[in-house]
Amino acid sequence: MKRQLEKYAGKLIADGGADAASMAILAKDDQILELGSPELLQLGRAVLERLNVVSLVIADPSLPLLDTLFGRLSPQASEIVPLDTETRTFLHDIPVVRRDQFSAEHPERLVELLGQRKGILVEGVGIMTTGSVTVELGYINYCSIYHALFIKILLDFLQGNPPTLNEIQSLLPLWHQLQVPIPERVDDLRGAGLGEHEDILHAMEIAGRRTVELHLVDSFFGNISCRVGSRQYISQTGASLDELSGCIDIVADDNSSTAGITASSELIAHRAIYQQTGAAAILHGHPKFSVILSLLCEETDCRIKDCWKECERVRSLCGTPIVAGEVGAGGIAKKVPPVIGETGTAIVYGHGVFATGSNDFVRPLRALIRLENDCRREYLRLLQGRVVDSSSSVLLAQKQV
Amino acid sequence: MNGWCGRLLAVDLSSGKIWVESLKQELLQAYLGGRGLGVRLLRDSYHLDPFASEIPLVFAVGPLCGTPAPTAARLAVVSRSPLTGTIYDCSAGGRFAWRLKAAGFDAVRISGQSTSPKVLAITPQGGELLPATELWGQPIAETVQALSGRGSVAAIGPAGENRVLFGNIMMGEGNAVGRGGLGAVMGAKQLKAITVDGDRRYDVADRPRFDQARKDIMRLFRASPVIFGDLGIAEYGTPALVDLMAQRRMAPTENFRKTVFSRSDKYSGPAIRQAYQPKKDGCYGCPIQCKKSTREGVPLPEYETVSHFGALNGVDDLRSIVQSNTICNQMGMDTISAAVTLATWGELRGTFLRADELAPLLRDIAFRRGDGDLLDLGSARLAAQKGQPNLSMSVKGLELPAYDPRGAYGMALAYCTSNRGGCHLRAYPISHEILRKPVATDRFSFAGKARIIKIAEDTNATIDSLVACKFSFFGASLEEYGELLSATTGCEYDPQHLKSIGERIYLTERFYNQQNGFTAAADQLPERFFVEPGSSGEGIEVPPIDRQRFAEEMDKYYRMRGLTPEGRFADADFLERQP
Repeated sequence: MKRQLEKYAGKLIADGGADAASMAILAKDDQILELGSPELLQLGRAVLERLNVVSLVIADPSLPLLDTLFGRLSPQASEIVPLDTETRTFLHDIPVVRRDQFSAEHPERLVELLGQRKGILVEGVGIMTTGSVTVELGYINYCSIYHALFIKILLDFLQGNPPTLNEIQSLLPLWHQLQVPIPERVDDLRGAGLGEHEDILHAMEIAGRRTVELHLVDSFFGNISCRVGSRQYISQTGASLDELSGCIDIVADDNSSTAGITASSELIAHRAIYQQTGAAAILHGHPKFSVILSLLCEETDCRIKDCWKECERVRSLCGTPIVAGEVGAGGIAKKVPPVIGETGTAIVYGHGVFATGSNDFVRPLRALIRLENDCRREYLRLLQGRVVDSSSSVLLAQKQV
Repeated sequence: MNGWCGRLLAVDLSSGKIWVESLKQELLQAYLGGRGLGVRLLRDSYHLDPFASEIPLVFAVGPLCGTPAPTAARLAVVSRSPLTGTIYDCSAGGRFAWRLKAAGFDAVRISGQSTSPKVLAITPQGGELLPATELWGQPIAETVQALSGRGSVAAIGPAGENRVLFGNIMMGEGNAVGRGGLGAVMGAKQLKAITVDGDRRYDVADRPRFDQARKDIMRLFRASPVIFGDLGIAEYGTPALVDLMAQRRMAPTENFRKTVFSRSDKYSGPAIRQAYQPKKDGCYGCPIQCKKSTREGVPLPEYETVSHFGALNGVDDLRSIVQSNTICNQMGMDTISAAVTLATWGELRGTFLRADELAPLLRDIAFRRGDGDLLDLGSARLAAQKGQPNLSMSVKGLELPAYDPRGAYGMALAYCTSNRGGCHLRAYPISHEILRKPVATDRFSFAGKARIIKIAEDTNATIDSLVACKFSFFGASLEEYGELLSATTGCEYDPQHLKSIGERIYLTERFYNQQNGFTAAADQLPERFFVEPGSSGEGIEVPPIDRQRFAEEMDKYYRMRGLTPEGRFADADFLERQP
């Protein structure tokens, strides 16, 4: 279990969500095991010993997203409602806690809310999540909430109140990051053919890991597959795209075996895409700015309330079609295949991007990178149009020295 | 009071008296219903012999029953098991639970012993005992048919009448109150069947909140490959697991001597589909519909049944396996215990049964004739009587289901910590060790498993008290079901609170067992799993279980439960502190 703590502490830092000084991970075996900042550990212990769960993750994202959120929330707000599909599906609303509502000596409010939900947003502390089964699950829930928070705030800059100069300044590292395109590191995937069994597994592992390294998906989301003959190789449900070894199922087209019951929930969608497009490889990630811009809808007189599920329109973003559809049997398999054939890429509203290739994973990975780079540029352009002061505008356009 | 009726129908078969009792709201809120309520109602009688006249047999529904909550039209039946001697509950679907709630009852408590066979007919007005001499001896389908027009039926077959220790109570729709022999308890009371009819409808306290929670649950079901995936249980039923267990090399074979059966593809989910073109079937109000039946409506076997009549007995004949399942259903007999007992018999004899020998021997067991009059006792007593107790693959006398513990160490622990004996459903670690829900764990590691098992047992005790189907939790969690319950009852329940209720129920059961003589010595796997390897191959090593690591994790488990190193309660007054 200690190894698990070390592994996921490392991932929290590597994924860019948190830094070592503002993070704590705790787990309950027959005693509490812990790693992280002493101050947070004190709070963590007080909370964890009162909860019937396995793990607790506390971390303040390196980007001051929580400060930004609390600066924008009304004083009466008790929760945020995530807009991205994954978090909306698996975590529902996310409670928020003000700094005057708890202390290490009196963590009752935190315990109460973590007894209700998998994660909460705590002013002055960060994101707190629990794992009912493993340390990993606490980490996954953290990633989900981080993702939801990022998308919600960045979308709010475009749809809600424009960002203030202070907000723009506090998120300067992000704007710098956006000025530098995601590199098209795909050449080493060329020739990683889809022929022999071992080669296929190797190619999927490299492509999956690269997708995570380039921040086109948080490691536990997304999925990858290829079709060889009458079989499909596909990542398993809940598999980390950067740790696919031993986590790839082989599924026969004719369903002659059900051993692939553990395959990704998007098996249905991948199958339908292969059937309708003749593609040989699919990569599905959740690049943040593609997701954010997919949520920007200019319809003003629309009767649909559940856009994630019910919208029948095919919109376009940077030349790529956007469709609605929920996870698994929730509609993606019906709505993506008809639109992905033409461009080889499709965006699912509030969810992520599917990209196909005909020989290997070069094209799908490159398509995700290019679309996300386009969306980053488009986001900055739209944001420039929203900021009201010239200083903000200058900061947004500034490259890191 | 939303969610509950606050009424219990009490039946004394000895005197023939039937009356209605009130159930206090505080008690219902503290134990929810189903398993929890049933266990609580046995507080004064858990020590009685399972065949004693006074022992109650409790049928209890949950607060979500009667609402559109997914998979919640279920009930639990609770008493003491004649097979294991433990407190015993079993959850079952069908329509019976829904009708019982619609008749206006949260529970039926049946005690006493009739002097002649009876049918208990329940309506909103109360209950009535009808003569059933002509039905005694009849198989399930004929019994259900004879009682048609009286609503839903729960009945015993010849196995229950003859007190076969793994006799089931069967729901008219084919669902079983299985495993621990509660059919034999009902048979000892000379109660052939219960019918129930009612039309009361229930509203929920907060409809918008309920609808939102239901929507959230359905979204999670759709996102779960195990539930609604192309290869999931909605499509193939639980036999979808046959191929997976073969691939993971943990399909118990030849009485657990091996863990791979090379011909399991003959009775896999796809093989059943090809042979029978089954139709989807299932419990009332369930969107999953995981049960499969023939075009004629005959229920097809579940995973446990195909695997145990198949691999465990070295049989690959699908027709014979389906026939065995049908006979067990018709006789009212548990398929897992029956199949394991046959496999034990096979190993004792030195040769496993042929496919064509299964059916006649199963009938003999139900009627306790010939060798059946020994096999009806279950594998533990059979092996003991034959002087080879180590050949019974059971824990606390309950035969192990079709997940070899050498292939999933959480499962190994959970078989032992289960209060009703070797059961996979109490903690259901297969969910994470094999099916990766809600997250994957290392199946060949004990690290952290004691805590995981403990939490899962608490959670599942809650689920069994709601009463919801455990398959729902391949997608949803107590978070969403807590919302449903809060919206239904108007009382606030969150996952933490619900788990604390589950913990209370689990500990109460363990306390009952302790008082009935169970110690840590009963929390033990058969020796085979510590000394014999499974069937390694294809890059998967299946060694014997490390005895020391197993013991260490059990020790941790006892500490987490607040028990002594001997697995006992330090506090003799435990029950007195419970509501």
